[in-house]
Amino acid sequence: MAKILIPTPLRQFTEKSDSVELDGASVGEVLTALTTKFPDLRKQLFTDEGKLRSFVNVYLNDEDIRYLKKDATPVAATDTLSIVPSIAGGAGVLSIAGGIQ
Amino acid sequence: MIDVNQTAWEVMVAHAEKTFPNECCGAMIGKIDGDQKHVTSAVPMENSYTGEQGARYELRPEDLLEADRNARAAGLDLIGIYHSHPDCDAYFSKTDLENSCPWYSFVVLSIKGGKFDHANSFLPNAEQTVAEKEELSWPKS
Repeated sequence: MAKILIPTPLRQFTEKSDSVELDGASVGEVLTALTTKFPDLRKQLFTDEGKLRSFVNVYLNDEDIRYLKKDATPVAATDTLSIVPSIAGGAGVLSIAGGIQ
Repeated sequence: MIDVNQTAWEVMVAHAEKTFPNECCGAMIGKIDGDQKHVTSAVPMENSYTGEQGARYELRPEDLLEADRNARAAGLDLIGIYHSHPDCDAYFSKTDLENSCPWYSFVVLSIKGGKFDHANSFLPNAEQTVAEKEELSWPKS
């Protein structure tokens, strides 16, 4: 079974587990198994259309799956998957939606 | 509520002042106890934004992955992200909001004339349309 490391803020959706071991032959299968086991995690990771949200990166060991075979990337039992957000920003443009104090 | 201890705060402010007039960025590590987040160390990271960095920053996901691994190994948690606003107030901009993620605390440090001025922490909502201000405390000198 492959291991998936759960980021701290998402452990509220995984019964506080910091990692989960699941079966799956590909990254897509393992992620499907993860969100089947923990349905509340689904909207954190995926859009309504079933695609990974824009800021969600998935690493197979040290490799970003976008540079491998994406969802079809094969997964071995000894592999570890990590969920890592893309983060950027800057003073650039003032928010009109909130947060200005 | 999020509190930052002396050690972490000194690292964050020194990083933000050193990179002035460009923005800096990094990770905040510590422990979460219910609604209380305690930041005990800060990990400065390189601003990887490829354009003018005076009003933009970008974290490399690989750097965040490494910070998360190191935190886990130490029995700690990745709690949030910090970055600076050179010669601007510590607001959460549209750029910040749209390029954030709803999982972490985002601390913004205002650096004016090269020196720390004030800071705020924000929590983006799930849709990244609004960021709520989060109570932030740090060691006042």
